[in-house]
Amino acid sequence: MIKVNGLSHSYNKDGKYAVKDVSFEVKEGEVFGFLGPSGAGKSTTQNILTGLLKLQEGEVTVAGYDVKHIKNEMFNRIGMSFEQSNVYSKMTAKENLDFYRKLFDVETKEPQFLLDLVGLGDKGNIKAGEFSKGMKHRLTFARSMINNPTLWFLDEPTTGLDPSIAADIKDIIKAENKKGVTVFLTTHNMYIADELCDRVAFIVDGDIKLIDSPKNLKMQYGDKLVEVEYIKDGETINESLSTIEENDKKKLQDIIGQSDIQTMHTKEATLEEIFIKGTGRGLI
Amino acid sequence: MLKKMFTIFRRDAKVNTREFLTAYIMLAPVIFAIAINLIAPGINDTTVNLALVKGDDEQMVAYLEDFAKVDVFKDVAALEKRVGRRDDVFAIVPDGDDYYVLQQGNEVEGLEQYATMMLTFYQEGMRIEDSTAIIHSFDRTVPPLKKLLVNIFMMFSAIMGGMLIAINIIEEKEDRTIRAINLTPISRTAYIFAKSVIGITLPLYGSVVLVVFTGFRGIDWGQMMVLIVVSTLISILVGFTEGLKNETVMDAAGSVKMLFLPMAGAVAVAEMVGEKWQWVAYWVPFYWTYKGVDSVLTYNANWGTTLLYALFVVIISIVAYLILMPGIRKGLE
Repeated sequence: MIKVNGLSHSYNKDGKYAVKDVSFEVKEGEVFGFLGPSGAGKSTTQNILTGLLKLQEGEVTVAGYDVKHIKNEMFNRIGMSFEQSNVYSKMTAKENLDFYRKLFDVETKEPQFLLDLVGLGDKGNIKAGEFSKGMKHRLTFARSMINNPTLWFLDEPTTGLDPSIAADIKDIIKAENKKGVTVFLTTHNMYIADELCDRVAFIVDGDIKLIDSPKNLKMQYGDKLVEVEYIKDGETINESLSTIEENDKKKLQDIIGQSDIQTMHTKEATLEEIFIKGTGRGLI
Repeated sequence: MLKKMFTIFRRDAKVNTREFLTAYIMLAPVIFAIAINLIAPGINDTTVNLALVKGDDEQMVAYLEDFAKVDVFKDVAALEKRVGRRDDVFAIVPDGDDYYVLQQGNEVEGLEQYATMMLTFYQEGMRIEDSTAIIHSFDRTVPPLKKLLVNIFMMFSAIMGGMLIAINIIEEKEDRTIRAINLTPISRTAYIFAKSVIGITLPLYGSVVLVVFTGFRGIDWGQMMVLIVVSTLISILVGFTEGLKNETVMDAAGSVKMLFLPMAGAVAVAEMVGEKWQWVAYWVPFYWTYKGVDSVLTYNANWGTTLLYALFVVIISIVAYLILMPGIRKGLE
């Protein structure tokens, strides 16, 4: 669905690259996470893929279209939910969606259906300018689905949303993906990436450091640990023990047999930890 | 594509009616027309308004109607009431076998003498045929100030169209919606054209309102439309540029207002400067629009001259387009 080969971009064309020689591929029906800290080159890459930025170097095809010679019809196939909500504040939620649907040449979703989907069903006749930040974000998200995109770009889709709404948004993404929609997810939130993505790419300083599935990355970079809290001789002790190393395994058996265990859980590495390990950089 | 462009135009028009400033801009031509009609009679109307008692002297009524606007009233009380109103009306009131002229006292200076003289002429039995005066005429039938104001306000409308575009662009910037539009299957060129439509329709509607309300209905509408449409080109370009350059509506409106300066300058040159200095305003598109519309409003225009003036405006606008368009395209990215 997306093929990127040797993509480089310099804003001032002065040899300082925001992204440098980036190559990756996103398969049809996949949820692909593009992860990195601010200024890593996520937005630059995404903007080139969506045609918002002109392709300078490299070869990029999106939904079968060559981005170098972008055709307007490509936009019938893609949807984009922006990190910063961008809806007409002087128009109602319904008017916003009604307006956008008329700009596409393909079958579109009913505005009321979309508003219901994102929990704004009863707010259709309220001007978007009167919406809270979260509501505007949901409206922006709803708008990105209006043309039934086969390739869906999501930029921080759950930012600023309360946990229950964020959970709903994640469910919508999963449901659309189940229908065959390819998702390109840009985020610095490793939890949502871990939950949704089939594969993730870690980008730092315009360079992709790692690409793989979260599961493989965890296996490759994560430590298999058990955290246990127990009482021994009247004293509370916390320990992290490896489930692989023999000494730790034996010690764990002793603790289970001889001590009063308060809590015990396995602790696999998070994507965030893997990111730090794999790239040598934090996510902020 | 046309359908999509219409969708964008309709959105702009709809939203513009919801804001005070933009709604005012859309209503401005009507206000201008009313203002011209209120101001113009005081300047142009040299007719004396006379009020007489009905049935008093039918012959006198018929005589005076040749020289003045005459209204008849049922009695002296009604005459007094009429004279007491805001405008300038003189009553010729019967007083036994004679008449006296009744006035409010605040009428335009000299008008009372005109009314008195007409009464005297009637009483002395003087007829227009007795005059030996020879009249030579320039055959100008249109009140000059009224024509000037209508012409200026038509160009005002064109600039207001540009202002509306600037305001709409600022709205798109504030709401960050241009990026979303860029991800729809409408080309950037089509989008620019669609956003420009309001900058053409407002001046056209404004000009029609001005012409109809101020009584120039007999003009060649086709010629007027051509001149108005070409005069919007420069306003549209400036509207886009200022909309993209400025961050607030007030800043953009202020910048677009700068167009009033060359417009006023062009009118001043056309009206007050000698023929040999007219060239100083040739670079201002409004100069050619003003001259063209002036001919149309005086019913002296022909298609050859109109199209020539329109061509000058288009050429100047193309030069402006070449200078401003790269910035506009970049600003919309």
